[in-house]
Formats: sequence, C-alpha cells, structure tokens
Amino acid sequence: MITFTFVNPDGTETAVQVAPGYSVMQAALANGINGVTAECNGSAACATCHAYFDESVTSALPEIKEHEDDMLDFAASPREAGSRLSCQILVSEALEGTRIRLPDAQ
Amino acid sequence: MVNPVPVVKDVVFQNLLDDPYPSYDRIRNLASAVWVDSARINLVTRFDDIMEVERNHAVFASTNPKSLMNKVMGHSLMRKDDELHQIERKALEPSFRPGVVKKHWGPIFSDIADRLISAFEDKGEADLFKDFAGPMASYALIELLGFKSDVAWQDISLWSQSLMDAVGNYSTDPGITARGKAAAGAIETEIDRVLGYHTENENPSILSSIAHAEHKHSIEQIRANVNVVVGGGLNEPRDSILTLIYGLLLNPNQLARVQKEKRLFATAFEEAVRWVSPIGMYPRRVTQDTVLGDTQLKEGDQIGICIGAANRDPSHFDDPSVFDINRPRQQHLAFGGGPHFCAGTWVAKQMVGEIAVPMIFDRLKNLRLHGSRPVIENGWVFRGPTSLPVQWDV
Repeated sequence: MITFTFVNPDGTETAVQVAPGYSVMQAALANGINGVTAECNGSAACATCHAYFDESVTSALPEIKEHEDDMLDFAASPREAGSRLSCQILVSEALEGTRIRLPDAQ
Repeated sequence: MVNPVPVVKDVVFQNLLDDPYPSYDRIRNLASAVWVDSARINLVTRFDDIMEVERNHAVFASTNPKSLMNKVMGHSLMRKDDELHQIERKALEPSFRPGVVKKHWGPIFSDIADRLISAFEDKGEADLFKDFAGPMASYALIELLGFKSDVAWQDISLWSQSLMDAVGNYSTDPGITARGKAAAGAIETEIDRVLGYHTENENPSILSSIAHAEHKHSIEQIRANVNVVVGGGLNEPRDSILTLIYGLLLNPNQLARVQKEKRLFATAFEEAVRWVSPIGMYPRRVTQDTVLGDTQLKEGDQIGICIGAANRDPSHFDDPSVFDINRPRQQHLAFGGGPHFCAGTWVAKQMVGEIAVPMIFDRLKNLRLHGSRPVIENGWVFRGPTSLPVQWDV
C-alpha cells in the first residue's frame, strides 16, 4: 500500500492508503475526498479532478499528453506547474509520502 | 431490505412525453428500479443509484446484442465498453478538446449565430426552434463533421431525427425503420464524398480526426460513429439553447443578472441542462444478478438511466423543479457520468453558453415570450422545447 495525503481546499489534510494501480482520482473518491468531483469518472473529458502535485514528484509522473494538457487550461481553478488531472495519474511508489493539494473549485 | 423490481402499469406513455417529471417523482419514491409497462424498461431515477451504475460498467454494460441502435446505425462506440470503446473515443478527442473548441470552432459558431439572427432580427417575432436553435445546431454539426456546406440544415436535421426515431422504435414500425435506414444511407453518401479530402488534409473536423487516428478505423466503424454523432449531436445543443433561453425568459431577475455579468451565462447553461436535461434517458444492460440500492436486478435486465429524473432528485437539489442560476455549484448528470461521458461537452458549453444564447439576448432588445403563442415542450428520452415563440422590440 502507498500512503499519501490530500490537502483539502479548506486546508485540512486527509492521509490515505491506496493499493498501486488505482488512479489518484479513484483514491480520492474511495476515501470520500470532496475536493475531487470527477464528473466523467476518468474519461479525461471534464477537468473536474484537477489536483496540484508537489514539484518533488512531478518529474516521476507520466508525461502530460496533448489531451490532458488542453483540458488543464480549462479547469475551473488556475493551472500551476504541478497541475494534473488526477484521473491520469496512477498510484505508485513515486507518490509515497507526498501531499496532493486540491483546488478551490473543480 | 432488498425487494424485487416493482411493476407500475398505469403510467400513460403520452404523459411521459408531455411532462415526465410527476411520473419520475412517483417512480423515484417507489424503488431504485421500477418496471414501467408503458416504457417497457426498468427505470432508474435516483441520483446516487445512477452514480453507482455509471461507476460499474462491468455489471451495467453499454454493449447489447439486441440493440436497435446497432441495427440502424451500425455498431458504434456508444454500444461498446472498455478497450474497444476507448480506442474509438480517443479518435474523436482532437475535435472536441476545449482549446480546439474555443479557438477553432468558437469563431465558426459565432458566424453561424450572427448570420441566423441577422436574417430575422428586424421582424420583431420568431419561433426560436425553427428560426434559430434548429439551424444553429445543424450548421454547427455540418462544420464539426467536415461535411462541408453543401448539406442543407433541414437535411441533417431530418437525418438526425430519423436516426433517433429508428433507434427508439421499440414498436418496430416498418416506416420508421425505413426512414432511419434512408438517413444512414444519405450520411454514408456524404462520408464517401468528403472522406478522401479529410484523409489528405488533416484539420480539426471529426472526419479528419477519425481518418488520422492512431487506431485505423474500418469504413463500418467510421460510418457507425458518424451516425452516432449525427443522431446525438444535433438535438442536445438545439434543445439546450431553447431551454436556457426559456429559463431566463421565465426569470427576469436572473436574466438581468447574467446580462450584467456575462460570465454567468456559463453557470446558467449548467443550470438549464440540469433543469431540463436534453438527454433524459439512456439504456444499460445488467450483466449479472445484482442489487442496486433497494432493488434486486437479474442478469439480462434492461435498465433505463433517467438522468432527467436524477437531476431533479430532491435529495441532491433543493426545489429541483425550479430554474435557479443561484444554486450552489454542484455536480449534475446531464452529460452522463462514466466512460460514455458526453464527448461534446465542451462544444455545448461554448456554442450554447458562450455564443448562441448571449448573442440572442444581446441582439434582440427586450426579448420576451410571445403574447399569444404558447411554448411547447415535448419528450422524455430526449426533451426540450419544440416551439419557443418570442417577440422583441424593433
């Protein structure tokens, strides 16, 4: 199991333990994290699972493809360097101990 | 407590067409799935149950060997799951990305809207169904597909309606089936006419995206998926344009607010499709005995996912029958909620909420419902105004 922490929009933190292979979006939904909406449930079509990843892990994440890249520009909260659609990130060793910040609006 | 599917025999089909919401309320109160005799399907109407269905397509499949849609349109991505669905969906994505929609399609949609409004703006009255929303959605779809402008808007509108009628032709009326097949034939001819161009000239249109997809599509796959886009890509923007205009005309205070603060048109669009969802119901097939909410379902059961009902579920929305752009921002299901989430979402947001409806209110001064001609709304599987007569100052 991989342990990491969601930082909710109100500043509170929720640590979760997730088996590798699930997406970060699925991990959020399974743990009742409200800061992720995931309207399209992982189809990369809605931009409502936007999350900010820490710069210490971004290089270990899979490269942003054109579709996700375009989608992130239209997320409800501003795009930052660590912005990703959490449905496109699978839980792996790389996320052990990291903190994933969720935006004010999805 | 888990019960078998209750049976309801006294829902009159015409009532579903005229106003499905009282029936939805009754069914939602009864059970998680309810067999409705007149609709010939088990209706699922509660928001939370539909979320569960959308998140579990292994148990609630889109594939269906008996699908009427497959017979009329060919085996499209709408009736596939998992990998087979994903490769065809991915092929369409480049045409539908929000950045492409805004930069490429936005100006084209603006030109269409401008041309249509210019044709009637000095008349002082119009039926926005046939004078605006119908041709708006049709011309936009002709461009999106890459059919080029020699297709008349009335033609593609008829093809779309004929396909949808044939897909919903559960009574197997031979005339309806024949019209559906004729529409599919006309679309096939149009594809054959332009496919070579799109193969040689990569561009943002849907036919070009498919022609240049990583997964090489057979001609049958191309035809089936273009049929789906024609059948499913016309009435939704048309109906949401009309529903949004109607909702704002019924609520002058909200209209005044969005006109002062234009970015609220986007919020108002989301509320319009929640209030009267253009796609009200779509089917799924139960692949194994399972419990949904409080109801036992059996392998092979057909369920009708009523997002039109879920979007008025009082456990999720206060005063759900009221059009109110001031609601707290919350998830609705008008675009679906799973792997088949509407691929055209960003097209709709742009065309309806950013371009067509703001332009109508900007150009037609003191726009109001017609003094003597009524608004007509119709449908439950697909729902929207079929006539929206209005007047304005000239």
